[in-house]
Amino acid sequence: MPPYGLRQAEKDAMLSRSLSDLTRHHYRSCGAYRDIVDRVFGGLDDSGGPWRLEDVPFLPVSLFKTHELKSVADSQIIKVLTSSGTSGQGVSRIYLDAETAQVQSAVLVKIVQHFLGKDRLPMVIIDHEGVVRDRRSHSARGAGILGMAQFGRRPFYALREDMSLDDRGLLDYLAAAAGQKVLLFGFTYMVWSYFVQALERRGLSLDLKDGVLIHSGGWKKLQDLSVSPDAFRHRLQGLTGIGSVLNFYGMAEQVGGVYFENDLHYLHAPIYSDVLIRDPVTLAPVPDGEPGLIQVLSSLPTSYPGHSILTEDLGVIRGRDSADLSMKGRYFEMVGRVPESELRGCSDTFQPARGVPV
Amino acid sequence: MQRHVPARARGPGVNDTARGASQGGLDASVRVLAPESPGTGLSDFLATTKGLRRAPFSEERRAIVGALSARFLKDPWLRRDPASVAVGYWMRPAAVARLEAAFERKQADDPSSVRVPVGRVFHVAPSNVDTLFVYSWVLSYLCGNANVVRVSQDPTTAVETMLRAISAVAEEHPELAESNRFVTYEHQDDVTAAFSAWCTHRILWGGNETIAALRPLPLNPHASERVFGSKFSYAVVGLQRYQAANAAERERLAAAFFNDLFWFDQMACSSPHIVFWVGGEQGWPQAIEEFERRLQAEVSRREYVPSASNSVHRLVHAFGLAADAEVRVGLEHPGFIGVQVPDARTLDKRICGGGLIRHARIDDLGQLEAFVSDEDQTVTHFGFDRDELARLATRIGAGGVDRIVPIGEALSFQVIWDGFDLIDDLTRKVTVQVSRSDRSGD
Repeated sequence: MPPYGLRQAEKDAMLSRSLSDLTRHHYRSCGAYRDIVDRVFGGLDDSGGPWRLEDVPFLPVSLFKTHELKSVADSQIIKVLTSSGTSGQGVSRIYLDAETAQVQSAVLVKIVQHFLGKDRLPMVIIDHEGVVRDRRSHSARGAGILGMAQFGRRPFYALREDMSLDDRGLLDYLAAAAGQKVLLFGFTYMVWSYFVQALERRGLSLDLKDGVLIHSGGWKKLQDLSVSPDAFRHRLQGLTGIGSVLNFYGMAEQVGGVYFENDLHYLHAPIYSDVLIRDPVTLAPVPDGEPGLIQVLSSLPTSYPGHSILTEDLGVIRGRDSADLSMKGRYFEMVGRVPESELRGCSDTFQPARGVPV
Repeated sequence: MQRHVPARARGPGVNDTARGASQGGLDASVRVLAPESPGTGLSDFLATTKGLRRAPFSEERRAIVGALSARFLKDPWLRRDPASVAVGYWMRPAAVARLEAAFERKQADDPSSVRVPVGRVFHVAPSNVDTLFVYSWVLSYLCGNANVVRVSQDPTTAVETMLRAISAVAEEHPELAESNRFVTYEHQDDVTAAFSAWCTHRILWGGNETIAALRPLPLNPHASERVFGSKFSYAVVGLQRYQAANAAERERLAAAFFNDLFWFDQMACSSPHIVFWVGGEQGWPQAIEEFERRLQAEVSRREYVPSASNSVHRLVHAFGLAADAEVRVGLEHPGFIGVQVPDARTLDKRICGGGLIRHARIDDLGQLEAFVSDEDQTVTHFGFDRDELARLATRIGAGGVDRIVPIGEALSFQVIWDGFDLIDDLTRKVTVQVSRSDRSGD
């Protein structure tokens, strides 16, 4: 089934069945999940579902930092993803077994192929190779790069270890790939700081009209620099003439069913996943067009109870099944992140300055 | 209106001063926030105040505190902030007269000594309760001392407004500028050491980390010190008494508890984190339901909406509690999260803040004894008589609890804090013994 081939009503019916199944599966298999469902949501009702998507219990994303949440035996786990992507201290730990890892990867392939086609493309990675050299540590950044690298061939890392742009190497690589469609990938902030701005500083312009840039990683840092998504795209197109710029929204806690930018420049839910928007205070779902916390739903994870996660990101549903789009289903815009709580006890008269992680 | 105490982005001027005190001198390292035009540099201030002599509760200083109180209560921003209004009322002339009367009683009770100011006081104010620096300073100022008050580097609107008022009053009353500096600086041992060498009494308003960092810095050998560590507070409610209360009484209790819970985002040392329901199991869940329903009604009546950050913070905390122990988490009230803890023995003293209440049940007040520890401060109560509370004080006071006050009074500032009489701290007793032959009537 094509990843954007279901209308919202059909998708709701399918997802509510699979998410209800997953809820029962994790309830059976993960003690902490069962405790939370019982103690926060009053247990699962006797009907056995399928429940409406908004009635599926959720876990706050930060809980993956403070608690070990898994639904398979330790011997089944083949990979632990870690991420410090959300605010606050600590890192999330996401436990993957072979099945979940394989399904997530297969779904990511389907979604990316929708935009890139099946051929593996010459690929420029806007990062340095050191991030992926240590195969044992799967930082979200390294895992993201490795996940995307499967769509390219002969990847070229455009940055040096000191984050400077290897412009000579880049020009050579692009010359060798002349006439072919080129895939570029990087995290949004890196692309801006170490690619766009480096090109501008050096007065370089590239010809990437057959290229497509895929980027991800959130707008927070660019918002701090007052760079809007439109400005990001326009500056990049001005410098490189790049044919296509595609942002996507995803997180280590839900790899696979990521949300790619559609032609309206909104983030589009594929058939494997969906978003709900909840009021941050009442937690009630809000009407389309109103901002709130993004809850992400995914039909993929079976090895850890991450099929329904309340994020700390703020988003707005912008529409569904639009006649202007070939892609069916719901799409949204990410509008920010809930600031980290500044609740402080008596213990902070002298507070050490907080570092800014890259 | 509840005031969250936000950490602001530090202004460029603050970080610019992060040089060693020894290199640029105190004036380069420290920003004087009030008085705005102090007249002298800090080093001169520290030198000249060593010769300062003032009497406790002088007429001049009482008048200055009165003028400041009037300014606070007139200020359009402070007037709308209940915690700031509470400060303004606490220092109005009638209240200062009561403080003075308490001081006079102390003096009269002990004719063998004369009370004089402790001299020079260095206050390190906390940032979780932003208005506390005023209480600390006013008491010390009334006692006749010179003061250096260090406030947070991220002053809140309340603090900024109060400092502006202090500067304005200092324009009219040079005495205020002569003897007081309100300052801020990035944590630097040499600056703290300079003020510590100057002062004759140091007050560290916590919490534990600050105390651990600052306490080792040597004081003037003649100085005394008072530190206030991080504290934990809770409430006790008599279950049968609550069940017997009429609607109006329950409504008043909800309003009183609202203040205790939401002022300073439940992050003051005296903010309650647990409600112990004392009595049999009969009707316990219903009483909690009723209590929470009325609390939410109060939240709605006051149009209090928690910030998204606080809501997410307490949500994550509540889910963590649910993963860790047998509890029942209630998400139905937008103003707060109520967590029922059926087995009081599973309670810990982790602080969440931002509107998270744990409810636990005990058979009688005596069972609190097992729960009490050094860090406990305030127990707020409803539904107990004087004898019961006095017995409770005997049993749990020795274990750590410092105050037992009615629900609604958790955050009222009192001259006796954490069990210590601040007027005693801020004055010194000079023993006066007349020789035997001079005693009249002998």
